[in-house]
Amino acid sequence: MAASIDGVLPATLQELVKKSKVLVVGAGGIGCEVLKNLVLSGFTQIEIIDLDTIDLSNLNRQFLFHREHVGKSKARVARESALSFNPDANITAYHDSVTSTDYGVNFFKKFDVVLSALDNRAARNHVNRMCLNADVPLIESGTSGYNGQVELIKRGLTQCYECTPKEKQRSFPGCTIRNTPSEPIHCIVWAKHLFNQLFGESVEDEDISPDSADPEAQNESVTAEAKAADGAGDVAMEDKENDKEQEKSTEAESEGEPKNNGNVVRINTRQWAKDCNYDAGKLFNKFFNEDINYLLRMSNLWKSRKAPVPVQWDTLLPDGTKAAEAPEFARQHHKVWTVEECAHVFANALKELSAAFLKLEGSDTLVWDKDDQPAMDFVAACANVRSHIFDIERKSRFEIKSMAGNIIPAIATTNAITAGISVMRAFSVLQSKWEQCKAVYARLRLNGRQQFLVADTFFPPPNPNCYVCASDPAITLRIDTKRIQVKAFRDDVLIKTLNMVNPDVTVEATGSIVISSEEGETECNEQKLLSEMNIVDGVILKCDDFFQSYELSIIISHFDAERDDVLFEVIADKSQLQPKQEEKPKEDSEEQSSTSRKRPANGSDIADDGPSTSKRTRLPEVEDDDDDCLVIEEDDDVQEIVNTKTEQLTVKSPPKVAIKRKPDNLTDDENITEILDSSDEEDVGPTKSKRTKLNDSQPNEVISID
Amino acid sequence: MKMDVDNKPGDAGVELTEAENELYDRQIRLWGLESQKRLRTANILISGLNGLGAEITKNIILSGVNLVKLHDEQLVSEADFCSQFLAPRESLGSNRAEASLTRARALNPMVDISADTEPLKEKTADFFRQFDVVVINGQSNEELLRIDGICRELGVRFYATDVWGMFGFYFASLQKHSYVEDTFKYKLISKPNEKQKFETVATPVQREVEYPAYSSWIDFDLNAATYQRKLKKDGPGIILLRVLQSFRSQHNRDPSYKTRDADIELLQKIRDELAPNSALSNDALGLLFAQISPAAAVVGGVVAQEVIKVVTKMEAPHRNLFLFNPETCMGYVESVGVN
Repeated sequence: MAASIDGVLPATLQELVKKSKVLVVGAGGIGCEVLKNLVLSGFTQIEIIDLDTIDLSNLNRQFLFHREHVGKSKARVARESALSFNPDANITAYHDSVTSTDYGVNFFKKFDVVLSALDNRAARNHVNRMCLNADVPLIESGTSGYNGQVELIKRGLTQCYECTPKEKQRSFPGCTIRNTPSEPIHCIVWAKHLFNQLFGESVEDEDISPDSADPEAQNESVTAEAKAADGAGDVAMEDKENDKEQEKSTEAESEGEPKNNGNVVRINTRQWAKDCNYDAGKLFNKFFNEDINYLLRMSNLWKSRKAPVPVQWDTLLPDGTKAAEAPEFARQHHKVWTVEECAHVFANALKELSAAFLKLEGSDTLVWDKDDQPAMDFVAACANVRSHIFDIERKSRFEIKSMAGNIIPAIATTNAITAGISVMRAFSVLQSKWEQCKAVYARLRLNGRQQFLVADTFFPPPNPNCYVCASDPAITLRIDTKRIQVKAFRDDVLIKTLNMVNPDVTVEATGSIVISSEEGETECNEQKLLSEMNIVDGVILKCDDFFQSYELSIIISHFDAERDDVLFEVIADKSQLQPKQEEKPKEDSEEQSSTSRKRPANGSDIADDGPSTSKRTRLPEVEDDDDDCLVIEEDDDVQEIVNTKTEQLTVKSPPKVAIKRKPDNLTDDENITEILDSSDEEDVGPTKSKRTKLNDSQPNEVISID
Repeated sequence: MKMDVDNKPGDAGVELTEAENELYDRQIRLWGLESQKRLRTANILISGLNGLGAEITKNIILSGVNLVKLHDEQLVSEADFCSQFLAPRESLGSNRAEASLTRARALNPMVDISADTEPLKEKTADFFRQFDVVVINGQSNEELLRIDGICRELGVRFYATDVWGMFGFYFASLQKHSYVEDTFKYKLISKPNEKQKFETVATPVQREVEYPAYSSWIDFDLNAATYQRKLKKDGPGIILLRVLQSFRSQHNRDPSYKTRDADIELLQKIRDELAPNSALSNDALGLLFAQISPAAAVVGGVVAQEVIKVVTKMEAPHRNLFLFNPETCMGYVESVGVN
């Protein structure tokens, strides 16, 4: 304990370490390391919070946890282990979410410095707002593979965490998932939806059956016929205005007569599967034969696309071939299974999952977990069969797990280095040596100055248009007001996208209350479309999240969403509102940036774990607990670093290519390294670093969160 | 540089077990199965179980190597509690390597971990030849030269490393080292009429690089005119390293917090003799006592990552002198004795 031994630390630092109160948010890969460094340095007043429990795959780096701790609270076990390093420390552990209302601004005000070691953007955004409000310096850190990052966030001095736009999480229109997949990720998302339809919590926008409401399939007699013949129509039409469709589907439900042809009503998919006794052949044929045949009848879809080829259970697994109980290949996670093998795995996983499901009581459901073997097997098998049908490259279970679980690769060394720098920065913060607190990036390869732990040369100034730390924050919201209900506006836009916790919303001009934080007060509005509430183009909404002490004006800009559009988009700067002209200014500013070498180029986030918030199909939210970040670096002699804030990686789907806009000025010696994702380990080689030249940071860029 | 890639399945063609696949999942997703198999056959010596030694040990054990030998003849002291988290409080006064065993083993039951307490000076080629990589920490230059000489004869990879307070370094003596790394090219993927789009293509390339002996650092002339410009650019870390190593050989110990002020004066004196008018400030000399945990974590993380690179033959190990600047938190590499 450096600070309790006189003479080890300089006297001023020694005193500060002894008397300071520190909050560590997150007890994962970085958090464990930070906690160790803190207690050994002699901090005695430490609080640590983490809502997670310990998983086996944590143990390769979260060294405060051992095998016997699996399943226990990270925060509590981390506390116990750290106390064994220094029994004199006082550590308070909270097994809880930092976004819980128990930890308000006054809680944050207790601390001299907050060290954040989180793994998801929502919590980072929240801690950012709390520290800004409480005016407590925040040391934000993250890692992804070989890349790490530590930065100070201090009100008035630095950018806040939300000053720079983050890359949106990729999300996919429902039509792509249900009707026209073209990439492995589409099939993986579909397979996860299928899991939920059968065993999980039924989510409205996770239908897996063909979508006959696909605009591209419209104006087509065959489709109309198909629809009529189908009877049940399509429940999953997002357009709830279509009451007749709704009625029809309700009828079908009450009759309990699932149609073999195409759209079985969503709720009934589950019941139907149960009624079939989870017969692998029947289920397989419905999802991979009948539904595909139904899709083929929407012939418009296949005019410019390769048509899918349905597969049949009997031909894959002819009669009498009983799926072996535990076939050898099912454990070969790095092998790409054949379609026949997938059918085997499907059958076995179905058996296990249905047994587990039937044991549940009442309305309990299974929760998909990438680390649950049958659940992961099921998704891998179904995704690959569907990929086969649509002539998409099949993937190994290992690769599918990366994509389905949004897994960020993580190693002990990067976490140790990053956490070490984080606590070194805490020393400087406590001594108010702000000039020594510039952001630091750890990476695999040297830059042109022979550095691989690289510090920014100055603090990038706060973004005057930041919708969090600007004095009077406002955003423009492009939104289809005719298709989004108040509830979805609250859940998807305000909570998931803008990271509010419990917002109140009023119309600025009239003062009428749209959403109240008091339970039940505005329930009657929830199912109404925004347009029905007279929230239309040009209306300004005042949003206030009391818990975060966060106020925001939202200027509504209506647009009619098309087939492949997401239903809303947040735009931080009004001047960016012309989406079609967006490309041009981007290129310009990139050119500027390549000439203005002194820019620290901090920003330009390209990763997100953040909840995607389309009303349509969204990617699974991050289920991983890893520390994460994404760092894009450009090395050159004058040290220009394009970096990104640390985030869970978005699932990027293969082909694993980074699209570069202007490669001309790049040579092989310029090290622009982007770790794109974790899924491409196996085939290309060891380091999955890809290069890409991203647009330089553009504070005013569209925050395209969809 | 050879352009063809060595695709031989390492020394370990054996598949990983399911337990290994699960435990190492997150790192296999970074460096691949082949690397993990290579790690599984690697035998590592870590000599000097101070705070830095503990950090290196932790990271190496977590990575899943075959065997780690913890070597130390010294006893656990009060100063160790600033960063040596493997030795429990109650082990004060017992051998540092032995005191670290229980916690080291708990980090990863799949790794073979043992302690050796015999004096390093008595260790000969027979001892060092058991290892693929040897990491020596806290030794005099004479001893480092001796061991590096033995290792180079045996073909064993050698790392010398130290942390003083918040400052640290390593020196890599790898002889001829071959490794694979990705190179990147851009490929036009858009059609002629479209806006230009490129994809990056990664190609693994095998390279071979020569790493000079530790003697090249002893022989390195800080005051050479040709080096002055670079010295100015990179800061005084390299001078500080020389000052600290001179202190160690002159006084047969490191600066001690118990005699903090007197030792700072001794350091100043050495500094002024070695590199008069250098940028090495008095403030920096106040950060050199015991081993401060976060700095030991940074240097220990870097050293362990280099050992992993060497074992997996993946990516270029930095060549060849690493320095960590505690004020800026910059970590950079000097090429010493490299043409």
